[in-house]
Amino acid sequence: MITQMHVKGLMFDPYNNAYIVVLRDEEHSDMLPIWVGKSEAGAISMSLENVTPPRPMTHDFMKSLLDAYNAKVISVVITDLSDHTYFAKIHLMYEDSEYTVDARPSDAIALALRSNAPVFANDSVITKQSSEELEQWLENLKPEDFGKLDS
Amino acid sequence: MSGIELPKAQDLVEYRVDRILEEANTDTRIVVLARQDGTLDTFPIWVGAAEGNAIKLALDTMITPRPMSHDLIKSFAEHLNITIQRVVIADVKSSTYYATVYTVNKGVERTIDARPSDAISLALRAHCPIYITQDVLNRRSTANLDAWLAKLESKDIGTPEVQET
Repeated sequence: MITQMHVKGLMFDPYNNAYIVVLRDEEHSDMLPIWVGKSEAGAISMSLENVTPPRPMTHDFMKSLLDAYNAKVISVVITDLSDHTYFAKIHLMYEDSEYTVDARPSDAIALALRSNAPVFANDSVITKQSSEELEQWLENLKPEDFGKLDS
Repeated sequence: MSGIELPKAQDLVEYRVDRILEEANTDTRIVVLARQDGTLDTFPIWVGAAEGNAIKLALDTMITPRPMSHDLIKSFAEHLNITIQRVVIADVKSSTYYATVYTVNKGVERTIDARPSDAISLALRAHCPIYITQDVLNRRSTANLDAWLAKLESKDIGTPEVQET
């Protein structure tokens, strides 16, 4: 079973010197935080804030390659979580065939945002990550911590 | 064959990635390209730390547990049967370089604009040649560069840590 998730925003995690991509489902009952590196966060943030860089960034180039051959991103799915590492799959449509490509969630999300493709998460992943400690930590964050990202 | 304007062969000079240097103070990397034919000539390109590390990973043929961004691009190409033919550093404006990636699928050629760092990262993974146009070579400014590079040699960066998501 998979649930559609929305990218709610990016937060800085000072304890790990990393960024957290916060995904939430439609009803805001489930939350899936994914830790990503600085440059990966940058790639997602540019898309969330509709920033058009003067030169194509890595994921803009990635999308250009797919566009050049009329390949379309249908969806991305956060499929698995093991040892605190998330795994994702990108589903592509090309010449009436579907292709599934393994990716890191950060790449999958950065590409999905640029392609207006939906992001899903396996229910098992959402259940697995539900550590109370984490949710408390997230709840304690003020709205300002989310920056100006809202959607 | 196609409507794409190809630079003339004599206008392209093939380079390879010689090494990646660390710019200590600014958290940037310098990708040093050297002429493939052995002629003594280096061509440095300043890139961000993440971009430099992506190139370094490919240069050292490091296998990462999960596909990095350029591995994913290569994977897309493989799945869709797209061949990455070559990458060309084709323009320079205000000290910023611009690259073009040449691809083909079933006889259909497509060119895609890219930053040199992405183009080089992909070229190393796709094992395709890297070219610089004679025009770009003519327009670079290399005053004191070799001396400056020599000074940096000792600071060759080690293996970058793989940034986990």
